[in-house]
Amino acid sequence: MNTLRGKITSINTEGHLSLISISVKDVTFKSIVIETPQSVDYLKTGNTINVLFKETEVVIGKGKIQQISMQNQVPCTIKNIEEGKLLSRIDLDFQNNEIVSIITTNAIRNLDLKVDDKVVAMIKTNEIMLSEL
Amino acid sequence: MIQFNVQKKLDAPGGEMLLDLQGEFPQGQLITIFGESGAGKTSLLRIFAGLLMPETGKIIVNQQTWFDNRKGINLSPQKRKIGFVFQDYALFPNMTVQKNIEFAAKNRQNKKEITDLFDLFNLGELLNKKPETLSGGQKQRVALARAIASKPEILMLDEPLSALDHVMRSKLQDYILTVHKKYNLTTFLVSHDVGEIFKMADKVIVLDNGKITNQGTPSEVFSNKHISGKFQFTGEIIRIEKEDVIYVVTVLIGNSMVKVVSEEKEIHQFSIGDKVLVASKAFNPIIQKIQSK
Repeated sequence: MNTLRGKITSINTEGHLSLISISVKDVTFKSIVIETPQSVDYLKTGNTINVLFKETEVVIGKGKIQQISMQNQVPCTIKNIEEGKLLSRIDLDFQNNEIVSIITTNAIRNLDLKVDDKVVAMIKTNEIMLSEL
Repeated sequence: MIQFNVQKKLDAPGGEMLLDLQGEFPQGQLITIFGESGAGKTSLLRIFAGLLMPETGKIIVNQQTWFDNRKGINLSPQKRKIGFVFQDYALFPNMTVQKNIEFAAKNRQNKKEITDLFDLFNLGELLNKKPETLSGGQKQRVALARAIASKPEILMLDEPLSALDHVMRSKLQDYILTVHKKYNLTTFLVSHDVGEIFKMADKVIVLDNGKITNQGTPSEVFSNKHISGKFQFTGEIIRIEKEDVIYVVTVLIGNSMVKVVSEEKEIHQFSIGDKVLVASKAFNPIIQKIQSK
């Protein structure tokens, strides 16, 4: 599980759903949750919380990303690649935070990913969980 | 309201153990008691029931003193309004199901209330049978009905479901929840099954070596932090296998085995037998009908 610490900058609630913006370093993460500021205490603007997402949900983009619906786009540098037969693990550096992505080895080859490459890690809004500290 | 503060020395396998328990619970809660064997769980129930006398302390149930060593008060088990169900059925073998329940009811329930109980527990076809002809699940259903027949204020369940298969277990859990609510009982349930605790309990108390070491709601006790994922289960790790660059962790959740992918950096903290929280978001799982109502 990838864990980043960030500060809630805005909360947009509709019924039982809330779209939360969290700033981590200079990137704004967005997460949609079935919670509201009424249902849990930790959803308050200005609160520091954990942003959680699975390694296997981290999409890697390289080069210029044209138009894509992924709201969470995090510029990273590849620190290490561990290639397996089918799956591979990429360790990424995001402003001194670590993010791990697990993608297929084929995808690594197709994108010709190498250590020190600048890439964009992308996570769908509905794949991001929040937890209190 | 149930208030207790009791002390008693017990002979435990590891030597003498001081049972020292305090607590306060509002009427109508379902409280599970969780802990290793020998932690004092059954002793706590026996103290409530009046089957085991504490050396010091007090038990006050709805303003009535059941036990107070200073005032010399110790109500007999018959005067404490408690229904008890044990793991080993304990039905009277020579009586039919109906007689078992009527015996427990004595004069406390009128005929209509007893018939309601038969209906509530679907005992119609079993009424004239002797306990030995019943399955384990049926026996526990009867034992539960018998415990309720005495019109208790407190229901004490000492691992009543641990000998049953999972389908029966789940049905009996539903029966327990139904009577717990219908009769506004305060229910104490000894359970080792975290899934069962999450399904049933308002509160959990964790006993260790005769003391209460933790208490709260199931999620307060069993998950460290509130996490927003709505697809959450607790289970036990039964296998960890390395596959390619990932690890596949098999977790037993209730009676189902699920697999969760983990990776190098977090796998070191997990061992077989660990209790874990498995969480995903409500957005991920698909849902498919397998049988119409």
